[in-house]
Amino acid sequence: MKNEQFINRQDLKRKRALIAFQILMYGYLLTMFLVQMYMYSVRDW
Amino acid sequence: MNQTTSPSLATSTKGLDEHYDQSRKAQRQADLWLMSGAIMLGTLVLGPIGFPVFLRGLSLQVKAQKAGLTVRPVLVTLVGYLVAIDAALNSFGWAMDMIAHHSLMNRTILTMWGNMFDAGYFWHYNELWIGGASAPGEKAWVFALLPIVFSMRLAAAIGFLQMKRWGHQWMVVTCWFGVVAWVGYVANMTIFADVRYANVVFPVVGWWLYDIFYISPFLAIPYLHSVNREIFSDS
Repeated sequence: MKNEQFINRQDLKRKRALIAFQILMYGYLLTMFLVQMYMYSVRDW
Repeated sequence: MNQTTSPSLATSTKGLDEHYDQSRKAQRQADLWLMSGAIMLGTLVLGPIGFPVFLRGLSLQVKAQKAGLTVRPVLVTLVGYLVAIDAALNSFGWAMDMIAHHSLMNRTILTMWGNMFDAGYFWHYNELWIGGASAPGEKAWVFALLPIVFSMRLAAAIGFLQMKRWGHQWMVVTCWFGVVAWVGYVANMTIFADVRYANVVFPVVGWWLYDIFYISPFLAIPYLHSVNREIFSDS
């Protein structure tokens, strides 16, 4: 029973870490895209 | 020794054999379509033909799973093939740029791509001693990622599709490689944006629309870390 709880807690932690990672990665990509769009709007490309 | 088998056991064993036989056949047929489609998609140029072939294989895989046959899970199939296609696409284009930069095909296709989306493949093309793309940092990425990341990713995807444990482990490793590659490459595109987007037909949006399809490593990481590892075999 205790072992099961430990596994569930570990599973929950892993899920949270993966969600945080996804937010970080997609956030980074979106930021880079927006920086490039800003540059596009002010430069003569 | 006189061995006897009870009729019910014989019937159930025969049923099991039949089931495995059917499953193997269904998997082989689906893989035939999937692999043919993936190979064509991996060349980029044959992609429009490869896509429907790949979809046909995928539908066969889904059908076999729905019919209760013992086949590779659909999600493993999809993740494995997408990673293989991503690795093949990158390997093909960059291998051409690295060793066949003066071929007519390369000078036509890659500089056309450069003219449309990314001037890193147009600006001073073939003017450095090494040949190929001259954009700042680009060749270093080609040298680092082609033999290490993409070749390994292709091998990992094959092991993963064979449901081997090393395939799963190397998928995890190479998908994290993919994160490093994306973070660095996108930073390069932003830092040297004045070189890469100047005077191209579709600046910024064109490049992102095209390259977003290579994002499979990020999509695969949560799945790879949460899938039941016991489904992959040690042998």
